[in-house]
Amino acid sequence: MILQQLVNGVALGCTYALIALGYTMVYGIISLINFAHGEIFMAGAFAGLLLVAYGKLNLFLALAGAMLVSVLLGIGVEFVAYRPLRRASRLSALISAIGVSIFLSTLAMLLFGANARGFPEGTFPSRQIDIFGAQISSLQLLIIVTAGVLMLALELVVKKTRIGKAMRAASEDYTAAALMGINVNLVVTFTFALGSALAAAGGVLVGVLFNAVSFNMGLHAGIKAFAAAVLGGIGSIPGAVLGGIVLGVAEISGVALGYSSWRDAIAFAILVLVLLVRPTGLLGKRIDRKV
Amino acid sequence: MLIDPYIQQILISIGIGVILAQGLNIITGLTGQLSLGHAAFMSIGAFSGALLTIRTGLPLPLALLAGGVVPALAALAVGWPILRLSGDYLAICTLGFAEIVKVVFLNLELTNRAFGLTVPQPETTIPLPLLVLLAALGVTLFAQSVRSSRFGRALMAIRDDEIAAAAAGIDVASHKLQAFAVSAFLAGVGGCLYAHVLGYINPSDFGFLKSVDMLAMVVLGGLGSVPGALLGATILGAAPELLRFMATYRMLVYGAMLVALMVFRPNGLLGGINLVEFVMRRSGRPPRRTGGSP
Amino acid sequence: MTSFIRLCLVLLGICTLAACQKKDDATTAATGGDTVKIAFMGALTGDVAMYGKPTLEGMKMAAEEINAAGGVLGKKIEIIEADNRGDKQEGAALAQKFTSRDRVAAIVGDPTTGIAKVVAPIAQKAGVVMLSAGSTGPGVVEIGEYIFRNTLLDNVAIPALIDYFARDLGFRKVAMITSDNNDYSVGLSRTFSDAAKGRGIQIVADEKVKDGDKDFSAQVTNIKAKNPDVIFFSGYYTEGALIMKEARKQGMKVNMFGGDGISASTFLELGGSAVEGSVAYLGFSPEQTSGETAAFVENFKKRTGQVPEMFGAQGYDAVKLLADAMKRAGSTDPKLFRTALAQTKNFPGVSGTVTIRPNREPVKSPLCLLEVKGGKYVLKARVPVKLD
Repeated sequence: MILQQLVNGVALGCTYALIALGYTMVYGIISLINFAHGEIFMAGAFAGLLLVAYGKLNLFLALAGAMLVSVLLGIGVEFVAYRPLRRASRLSALISAIGVSIFLSTLAMLLFGANARGFPEGTFPSRQIDIFGAQISSLQLLIIVTAGVLMLALELVVKKTRIGKAMRAASEDYTAAALMGINVNLVVTFTFALGSALAAAGGVLVGVLFNAVSFNMGLHAGIKAFAAAVLGGIGSIPGAVLGGIVLGVAEISGVALGYSSWRDAIAFAILVLVLLVRPTGLLGKRIDRKV
Repeated sequence: MLIDPYIQQILISIGIGVILAQGLNIITGLTGQLSLGHAAFMSIGAFSGALLTIRTGLPLPLALLAGGVVPALAALAVGWPILRLSGDYLAICTLGFAEIVKVVFLNLELTNRAFGLTVPQPETTIPLPLLVLLAALGVTLFAQSVRSSRFGRALMAIRDDEIAAAAAGIDVASHKLQAFAVSAFLAGVGGCLYAHVLGYINPSDFGFLKSVDMLAMVVLGGLGSVPGALLGATILGAAPELLRFMATYRMLVYGAMLVALMVFRPNGLLGGINLVEFVMRRSGRPPRRTGGSP
Repeated sequence: MTSFIRLCLVLLGICTLAACQKKDDATTAATGGDTVKIAFMGALTGDVAMYGKPTLEGMKMAAEEINAAGGVLGKKIEIIEADNRGDKQEGAALAQKFTSRDRVAAIVGDPTTGIAKVVAPIAQKAGVVMLSAGSTGPGVVEIGEYIFRNTLLDNVAIPALIDYFARDLGFRKVAMITSDNNDYSVGLSRTFSDAAKGRGIQIVADEKVKDGDKDFSAQVTNIKAKNPDVIFFSGYYTEGALIMKEARKQGMKVNMFGGDGISASTFLELGGSAVEGSVAYLGFSPEQTSGETAAFVENFKKRTGQVPEMFGAQGYDAVKLLADAMKRAGSTDPKLFRTALAQTKNFPGVSGTVTIRPNREPVKSPLCLLEVKGGKYVLKARVPVKLD
């Protein structure tokens, strides 16, 4: 049974990892917690759901469609709610982000109702695979693999491409990067696009896994994914995945031991502890505060 | 009773809103530290006061005192480690704190778990609506005196530039903590009134959306502006009643409003306007310029 | 500073002036005139709208039928409706409006226990009858002698259900799951565990979830290890459906039993094949063969295009109960018909036969068990409940 719970934990953790990747990327560049990231995740899930249920597309095409929708949404949000505030105080940007989050989740509730909706049965015929007596579904396996693949792909983009280099420059020193001729607006837009695409992929996969897409899935999962990102080291891509897995296992352990009421609190407790004890997280780099 | 009970109910709601808004304004508006979990202090105050009334039957003012002091102590305990974190992280931590408080109350026998507490109507010498309005007025005056005091100016200095404030000799950590505690005290008093007025409280009442309600009031009125918080609370308290057809869209409007305000008018309605000076100028008596500007 | 004080005083004065209105004459409009007003208290939008909307439809249907037959004591019933959006403060404000402005004779609602507890003191103080057609939690009717309800209570239904488990289904081991941020669920679980003692049922697992949880893998793994005969879930349909999906995923074959919390179409939509065989107990089933109820079901379908479920039926019954009490008392004054309502015995409602006990709690019979078959709820059994 312990192995089964471990499998449960890792699978859950990878769902957080998928969202955390987007968070960590955006935060790394513009130092903004994109509070609305969870809502983009939710939008992707709904887009995927609608494409499968009404557009009758197969899951992978729907995934692509959902990613497109989220990318557009993410870029739109950045343009409307964050870009005008780039020079404003951090408080303003944060409040704006909360406003977007509330707006999008309420919009979803009005459009799709308060009830959770499921993907049509048979969207992803999932088989149970037996590993040493523990059960893991092929869908859970897919999520774990996807988290790993995306992590590597992102690392590749950030370390080996030109735009990746620009992203790293902007994250280190925003103003200097602009002075060096980097089109910072483009970098930010690209980062948001990438983060949103990831969120959408996460949204669809998680939506199919739990078979529940609801207007508040973003609020719920978003905070936990942020905790995962911080735990792993905000700004670190492998950190997001590691943080996700650790958080997932911790949460499941808590539930398995009978503390299921506290499962959400576990995420926060981890977050607070990390911030107080080791703010750079497990894999983050040390950053000195400049006066 | 010469006032229509329906209107009374609305005035009470507004009064409580004013108290909550003024409380949040002190930590978020004046000191610039975003507290996204302020509903937790409201909850702690509500349950503390309710338990005191239910278990001991002591008069309302004592319950209100307890409802303020207990969350203030909690704020000191919690604030000490987390107030040193920067804006974004602090906000998330306060959110986490609110979630933890909710879970604790939902599981504690003392707070009757998920069933919540039924609070008997308190006996008061003056009618309850008047009491609430007077309390709201008192809190507003208190907030104004905080703002124009040296303490308040220090808070605003911290908001504007924390490092410069430290360099000027202000004990940043201590000031933040005190502001947090005062803020929590007021939120607790508001919560305690809420409990006694409504007669029934449940831990789930005090979630993220409640915190957003409070934030919206402060932001609308203008962060840091005391008349602003009063105005914001009044508008957002009265609007759902006057614009009943819009009720479903309330959160939608709040979200859009927060973004629009930040982008176009970060000072809110009254921030940046010193209402007193404004009124004085209008009536032909230009005010003397003393120290702090609005 | 003094100018600021002046400003505040001015604002206070404006508020007070705006609030002062000429108080109407003391006689209650409930008795005068040729209409008797009954208010609907519930949510038409938001999370719990699925309880409020059908209740209102049922109420309106009953009112129309009564009015078509001549009304109550010659007066027409007028249903006053408003939406409390599931919000307590809104519920309180509306209750004040109903009692002081609209002068209603009775309020039907709230279907949820939380808001019912907020509205009841207001109704009690105003001397207006409150009849909740849905709240099942404790501490509602205790608030005052004007407060009633006509829903199947869990502490009435559960003993009957457990006997059915033991006697008819041969269940011995139950895995109980509670949603612990849901007062309905916590109360129901408590009732269940109390009633299970001494009835030959053993609770082998006691797992907790929360409303809003999506992942149940850990709890199901724990339960699977205990090998229960049945899962009893006291929470709502979303979580119930997802729990069953997880159970099937982990290879469990047992079914889920639950209260009216899991009797919603969403349970079927989300659960799909995983909830085939699951059973909800209710005070009402649309599959009724007897005359009155069948007619009600037909008319409801014609009126709303949907098959009625419990809340619609109970809303309908609520208005009919009130009218019956008014007729027996010979008055539409709540002070007078309240007593008649408290003495209701064996009232034949479409949602079952109702008797009001001396403590104002209702006893209803029968208990309907609805099983999910072929993606629909099908009446599995009617378990009689003793009406004392």
